[in-house]
Amino acid sequence: MLRVTDVRKVFGTAHDTYIALDNVSLDIADGEFLCLLGPSGCGKSTLLNILAGFEPPTSGSVTADGAPVTGAGRDRVMCFQDAGSALFPWLTVEENVRFGLRVRKIPKAGWDSIIDKYLRMVDLDRHRRKFPAQLSGGMRQRLQIARMLAVEPQVLLMDEPFAALDALTRRHMHAVLLEIWQRTGKTIVFVTHDIAEAISLADRIGMMSVGPRSVITKMIDVDMPRPRDLTNPRVAQLFNEIEALLAPDLARAE
Amino acid sequence: MANVRDSNSAAPAAKPGIKPGIASPFRWLRARIGAGRGQSLILSMVSLLFAGLIWHLLSTFVFNPFLIPPPLEVFYAAIPMIKSGEIFADVAISTTRVLVGFLTGSLVGIVAGVLLGRIRVLHDLFDPIIELLRYLSPTAMIPIAVIWFGIGEMSKYFLIFWGTLFIVLINTIAGVGRTPIARQRAAECLGATRLQIFVLVVIPSAVPYIVTGMRIAMASSFMSVIPAEILAADSGIGYLLQKSSMLLQTPRIFVALITICVLGFIVDRIFRFFVDRVLARYMSFVAVT
Ligand SMILES: Nc1ncnc2c1ncn2[C@@H]1O[C@H](COP(=O)(O)OP(=O)(O)O)[C@@H](O)[C@H]1O
Ligand SMILES: [Mg+2]
Repeated sequence: MLRVTDVRKVFGTAHDTYIALDNVSLDIADGEFLCLLGPSGCGKSTLLNILAGFEPPTSGSVTADGAPVTGAGRDRVMCFQDAGSALFPWLTVEENVRFGLRVRKIPKAGWDSIIDKYLRMVDLDRHRRKFPAQLSGGMRQRLQIARMLAVEPQVLLMDEPFAALDALTRRHMHAVLLEIWQRTGKTIVFVTHDIAEAISLADRIGMMSVGPRSVITKMIDVDMPRPRDLTNPRVAQLFNEIEALLAPDLARAE
Repeated sequence: MANVRDSNSAAPAAKPGIKPGIASPFRWLRARIGAGRGQSLILSMVSLLFAGLIWHLLSTFVFNPFLIPPPLEVFYAAIPMIKSGEIFADVAISTTRVLVGFLTGSLVGIVAGVLLGRIRVLHDLFDPIIELLRYLSPTAMIPIAVIWFGIGEMSKYFLIFWGTLFIVLINTIAGVGRTPIARQRAAECLGATRLQIFVLVVIPSAVPYIVTGMRIAMASSFMSVIPAEILAADSGIGYLLQKSSMLLQTPRIFVALITICVLGFIVDRIFRFFVDRVLARYMSFVAVT
């Protein structure tokens, strides 16, 4: 379980400070699919980076299974928004996946079958010898997911991974991700500014207010069977509710 | 892409009645090396021929042919220089100077740049010095180099080294500093240690910048070896220029000038060939999606 307690994050120097997060508290259960939803610039990436251990909170604490998070951990792997810069462009598809296995000193004998398994899972096994530059945006993002899954972390931290994809590809990626989640039982913290995306994926949606001093304003349980179709009246109603909640914030964000 | 090119290039040869190679050189070239490249090669040749023609007209009808000798006269001046091997000896000497200075300068520039780009304290310590010294071009350093090292090989090695060092150093520092944070963090949470991130992620990410710096430095080495040889040498292409100038042998000066152009071009092509062969995988900048 991930536990965030009274986390504040202040950026800047003594004279010019920006309070990005103000007393954010959050519990994330094992195996849960949590979406963090909020307008751009509200501090979603900041919170995710703190969860990953890339940046320390200014005050407050983060624990993973009771142990304080002080740096990047083997159990939590991040999937970045811009796959183009997160991938290793000089390594082929399979070499990108192999990188994690190598640095984790996983026995060589197992590499081939692990790489095979996860490239198949994201449907990239026919493109093993291509370089990231030769892949489409959706394929790059799938590669990033395969690379992340291959080191078998318990928690996947995903920062607007599908924001740059076209609507059709994004829908496909949602299906891929949900299937992987259902099959592997990972904990997923998924950041998005897209209401429809949050609704189609999440068990729970954490709504964040616009910064400065962003907080989690509301937790919404989404207990509807997947796949969730926006034409379904219950889903549509939830969409409208969330939109109404965000409306004042969006006006301010502009 | 490849398919389109293949079908294009295969078409003329396959057509009955057209003899490849005779029907049209344009077609023939197309068939040999693909439409796009064939065309640009032909255009390059046209451009060179045209420049030669203009040169000929200018030197014959407009300017004094002693000041600007016509192409044919330059060609005749080149023949004995080629036959005696004189020009090749000069080329070999200048190229050796460039290569020694360039390779040592690049090596020191890369090693220092990688360290300065990564270690904050070192960077802050050396950056002001680099920012000042970079304005001392190799040419500005010739007088002191002669006093330090004489007019033997060492002074030329030093001058080329000096010029290369700063260009490669500054580019390497920039490349190391511009490794995307996301890439480093991705490696970190995949399990890489700090050293692994440095060696396996930061340095490969900097390769395009390093190579660009080396290419610029290579071109500038060929430029700066000439003044060095003019002022402080008794061999090499620069010395040939200087000597021919003293003897008012303008055709020989032109031979030397053309040699510099061709030599720089060839060495750059070899460098690019090497990069394409060995470093190609490191050279792709992935566009931001
Ligand atoms: N390193 C930083 N230094 C200063 N301000 C920052 C830094 N990182 C983020 N911020 C600020 O914190 C706020 C939240 O940023 P971020 O977490 O990236 O937002 P989101 O991911 O929700 O779009 C923004 O206003 C941003 O300008
Ligand atoms: Mg963000």
